[in-house]
Amino acid sequence: MSTIVIGLSLGMLLFLLAAGLTLIFGMLGVINFAHGAIYMLGAYVSFEVGKQTGSFLMGVIAAITITGVLGAAVEKLSLRPLYERPHFYQLILTFGLILVLSDVVRYIWGSGYQEVSIPPLWNGTVDMLGSTIPVYRLFVIGLGVVVSTLLYLFLEKSTFGMLVRAASSDAEMVRILGLPVGTIRMAVFSIGCALSGLAGAIAAPLFPVELGMATNTIIDCFIVVILGGLGNIRGAIAASLMVGMVRALGYVYMPSWVDILTFSLLILTLLTRPQGLFFRAARSA
Amino acid sequence: MKLSKFDILFGLCLAFIGLLLPFSNPRETLIQLITLAAIWSIFAIGFDFVFGSLGMISFGHATFLGVGGYALSLATQKYGLPFMAGVGLAIFLGAVFALLFSFFALRVSGIFFALVTLALSQLVFILADSKLRSFTGGSDGILGVERPSLLGIDFFDPINFYWFVLAIYTLVMLAVISLRSSPFGRVIAAIRNNEIRADQLGFNVNRYKQITFVISGALSGLAGALLASLLMYMNPQMLHWTTSGDVIIMTLLGGSGTLWGATVGVIAFEFLKEWLSSWTEYWYGVLGMIFILVTIFVPRGIVGELERMYSTRQKRLDLRQRRAK
Repeated sequence: MSTIVIGLSLGMLLFLLAAGLTLIFGMLGVINFAHGAIYMLGAYVSFEVGKQTGSFLMGVIAAITITGVLGAAVEKLSLRPLYERPHFYQLILTFGLILVLSDVVRYIWGSGYQEVSIPPLWNGTVDMLGSTIPVYRLFVIGLGVVVSTLLYLFLEKSTFGMLVRAASSDAEMVRILGLPVGTIRMAVFSIGCALSGLAGAIAAPLFPVELGMATNTIIDCFIVVILGGLGNIRGAIAASLMVGMVRALGYVYMPSWVDILTFSLLILTLLTRPQGLFFRAARSA
Repeated sequence: MKLSKFDILFGLCLAFIGLLLPFSNPRETLIQLITLAAIWSIFAIGFDFVFGSLGMISFGHATFLGVGGYALSLATQKYGLPFMAGVGLAIFLGAVFALLFSFFALRVSGIFFALVTLALSQLVFILADSKLRSFTGGSDGILGVERPSLLGIDFFDPINFYWFVLAIYTLVMLAVISLRSSPFGRVIAAIRNNEIRADQLGFNVNRYKQITFVISGALSGLAGALLASLLMYMNPQMLHWTTSGDVIIMTLLGGSGTLWGATVGVIAFEFLKEWLSSWTEYWYGVLGMIFILVTIFVPRGIVGELERMYSTRQKRLDLRQRRAK
């Protein structure tokens, strides 16, 4: 039971991360290599603000705000001039961004580990079906459910969500209709980054906050996003839960094979179903 | 592609500097730095062979470099093979890994090509770092990698090793120049211009891409062996995907798809690194910033921009001459 909860909470964290990445790809056609770096930044910001104010919630809010604003700035200043160029320029630009963000974080917080303690409200355990479960893990699962529902409602039901979907399927037409495609793109990039920052803030009490987060997390993100199908949010939910469970179970039963198994699964998927495991025709965003 | 006047002039300048350098009584660190740049140049040239001439961006080249490094280190240390045999093995294994990768990666295109090569190369990294620890030494790495022993010359002397690397670099450059102007090179250029047309003309596009990728892997393997020999140390970090990122930065900095771009990019990268790290320990971040600006404002890279300036100047001179007549 506790393995299942760990798997689910890991999966939900991965979803928060992957949702941003896949949203950005679906809308902008950009693979954001710096997504992991933004996740790391979110974790550091929540650590710092949490330490200064003594409130975990304030840390989370600060992390979302700062990564969201940063995302908007990055889109406007650096990605916007590149949309007309071949895809790889954007890919490479976001790689440069990793280097910058990593060193900014190292400059401010140094290269050691930082620890964030679980907020007192969620610090404890409950007994479920005969095993002890940390409350914080349940909180992460709950938050994942809430965020994914909100994201779904936002994209499918709200007017802005409609615009996002319209602009992702035919940006030129939306522009001709007189709608600000540039602003929509900026908002999407910003939301994607804010989701990543949120994931970082939520993950901070579970894992040590460190610089390696930037380059390691992005690989996990890619795995989920590719398994779920690039640009496919529903696929991302299924894939992140699947990878979360595989990780949790794998660490219990065959720890040294987990990574190799996930990568093999990933390569197999890319070869046989490059559109993702959960692809349904004529559906994007 | 024929060599342009610009390529020849640029090459002569580089050759002049490269040949005179050891006689200018340089500091040992400078010689080391230039040797390092020459080796990375071989890697970047190998990388750009796929990226610049076919427009396919590989995030897996760290693997070919690392495999080359391990091939030399293990062949000479564990199996007592002579140095040159180790280098040969490195080239061979670089090519074999590239061939293996190409079976998977060439089935997809565009951004998926980048992602498949990235996934494959991370798989190799994890294997070398943890699973094959007893063989590769894991994250401790391998100490005391060999230097060559030929004709009784002492290659632990930095200047002698520099000559050795420079000779290999020249051979690689000559090979690349002749490949570019060979019928094979023309087909590659045709594929880059219009893949469907090349296919319709009856060229086996996938086979050509595969051969390009394998040559690229072989060059990277060679560079890996030389790098391990220069540093006299080998560790899995060479296989990490960020190494692939570094070579992409270098290539774009210098100008992808141009003859000398890879070399100039590497030299610019290494000197920027030396210079920046002398006044800040956050040189990598500053370099990242410079790189972002280059991507936005100078997408042709240093050599690409020089080439453009040269050709507009040439055109203006032509025009003036014609007017004078």
